[in-house]
Amino acid sequence: MVECDFPECNTFGSTIRFALELEKGAAGVYEELANEPHAASAAEMFKALAASHKKRGELLEFTRQQKLNEMILEPIQDIRREDYIIDTKTPKGVDVKGAAKFAAEIEAKSAKFYLDAAKIAKNLMAEAARIMDKLGKESLANKAKLEAL
Amino acid sequence: MALLSEVKKDYGKLKNYVNGEWVESTSGKYIDIENPTTGEIIGQVPMSSADETKAAIEAAHEAWWAWRETPPITRARVFFKLKEIMEQHFENIARIMVQEQGKTIDEARGEARRTIENVETAAGVPTLMMGYNLEDGGAEGIDEDAVISPLGVFGAVCPFNFPAMIPYWFWPYAVATGNTYIIKPSSQVPLTQNYLTKLVEQAGFPPGVLNIVNGSHEVSDTMMEHPKVRGISFVGSTPVAKYIYKHSAENGKRVQAQGGAKNSLIVMPDAVLDRAISNMLASTYGCAGQRCLAGSNLIAIGDIAEPFIKSFVERSKKIKVGYGLDESVNMGPVVSAKAKSKIIEYIDGAEREGAKVLLDGRKIKVPGYEKGHFVGPTVLDNVTPDMKIAKEEVFGPVVSVMKMNSMDEALDFIHASPFGNAATIYTQSGKSAREFRYRCQCGNVGINVGLVAAMAYFPFAGYKDSFFGDLHGQGQDAIKFFTDRKVVITRWF
Repeated sequence: MVECDFPECNTFGSTIRFALELEKGAAGVYEELANEPHAASAAEMFKALAASHKKRGELLEFTRQQKLNEMILEPIQDIRREDYIIDTKTPKGVDVKGAAKFAAEIEAKSAKFYLDAAKIAKNLMAEAARIMDKLGKESLANKAKLEAL
Repeated sequence: MALLSEVKKDYGKLKNYVNGEWVESTSGKYIDIENPTTGEIIGQVPMSSADETKAAIEAAHEAWWAWRETPPITRARVFFKLKEIMEQHFENIARIMVQEQGKTIDEARGEARRTIENVETAAGVPTLMMGYNLEDGGAEGIDEDAVISPLGVFGAVCPFNFPAMIPYWFWPYAVATGNTYIIKPSSQVPLTQNYLTKLVEQAGFPPGVLNIVNGSHEVSDTMMEHPKVRGISFVGSTPVAKYIYKHSAENGKRVQAQGGAKNSLIVMPDAVLDRAISNMLASTYGCAGQRCLAGSNLIAIGDIAEPFIKSFVERSKKIKVGYGLDESVNMGPVVSAKAKSKIIEYIDGAEREGAKVLLDGRKIKVPGYEKGHFVGPTVLDNVTPDMKIAKEEVFGPVVSVMKMNSMDEALDFIHASPFGNAATIYTQSGKSAREFRYRCQCGNVGINVGLVAAMAYFPFAGYKDSFFGDLHGQGQDAIKFFTDRKVVITRWF
């Protein structure tokens, strides 16, 4: 299980931190699922998804450093962290279907977080909103792939 | 959530940076540097003497000619290198600012970004300092050129509210154009500049091109009076800006001196209230109100007053106050116990004059930070133009709400102020916005933007008692301030 510390999303920085925790949690879950003996046929896909979530984390770090603008650094008061916290307690002994179902729920919550944040961020975070939107759509695509397994 | 780690717990005794070396001050006088959130002492800064300052000026003067002869493109390359190093140290720069100044990590990251943007802009110096010419400009066969030349040694006296960015409004432009420089950081927040100068050292600037002398007025006065210093840049309060302007000018220096402010945010009846308030919260409480662009007087026009005040207060209550190294914190402490007392005195005075305290930040307690200099968001209603709180700069998270009948009335109020730093209108009417930007006698004007902070490639403006001088910091203004036009008329026999 990957320990995650999901903060309140009151600021640009804490919203990015929340996203980083989502990515860390998702990458950890996929790494564990890739080692599940009963889900071995999907191991390569899980490994690829783990790598993808790590890369997304790097994009978020870049966003935090390069895309914030002091002029519009407004407080964020409309994101409820409880709505987006993912379960990172990877189930043991699951088959492909069970593993995919578990991961798809993570992708669904991630997608909701990013797409909701992108809407709010459109006013507050300027360029970061585009990245949030991209990550949300990617998560939806990942969910569809998992559901097809 | 967990706090981000501090870069260091204790930064020890700071040194000056003169002629490419870190030198211990010989004055023997040090003052403590306090973390305004925890109350802990995190270092000591020397109060350097006049002789130490003179030595730095001599070193800068000695370094000048060789640096002036270095081609602009070569000088620019050192700035490109500096930018890369600063990016690598971005997070440390931001966290040190939080530790010594109290701002939030987002604000500090925003400031670090703006600091780097000034380096990026100054790196455009080969284009920025090009001169101009006219063939046959003198007469037939006589050409005339205006060459842009550097002048020598410049210096800056810097404030506490932006420990990284403000020195970078000036020195990158001065040095990129071929001058040499001395920074006197604020003695309340010298750590960030100390850290940044170590990065400058790594970038490969020759010794003496940039120097840091820590201290107080003895350092500033020496710079203002020394014959080898060609100009002074300053940011701080209006009384000190006036003194710096006068004293430097008496000594034949160029001066750019940014003073205080009292900024109004006008809410027109057609404003998009939700968006406007979100933006105003950033303007009024950002950096705990300790910036010369902070919104201070909120002027509601007509019927919008009631819903505006209700919503603004509700949303102000949600501002999370704490240690800026907690990423979910919206507002940190003010810089010192003295600053806190002064802000509280202003609120007390406003209450005595008849203002109604709708939200009171005077007694805020932040668990775990009992020694921190916190003032919570404070909203005062029923403020009238004659009250002290409506006229003077508070430099804290305190807003005064006033109700007026028209934009004309609001503009009259703004123009009655001795300050002319910034003003903003919130409206959806192009006509109102156009009229406001045309008539408003402030140097920084916002249309639905409450924090009118010019980017590096624009001047950081200011009118009236908010600025003394004619050329501002940043961008083309800075290039002009640090150079002069040399006219060359050429004829060949």
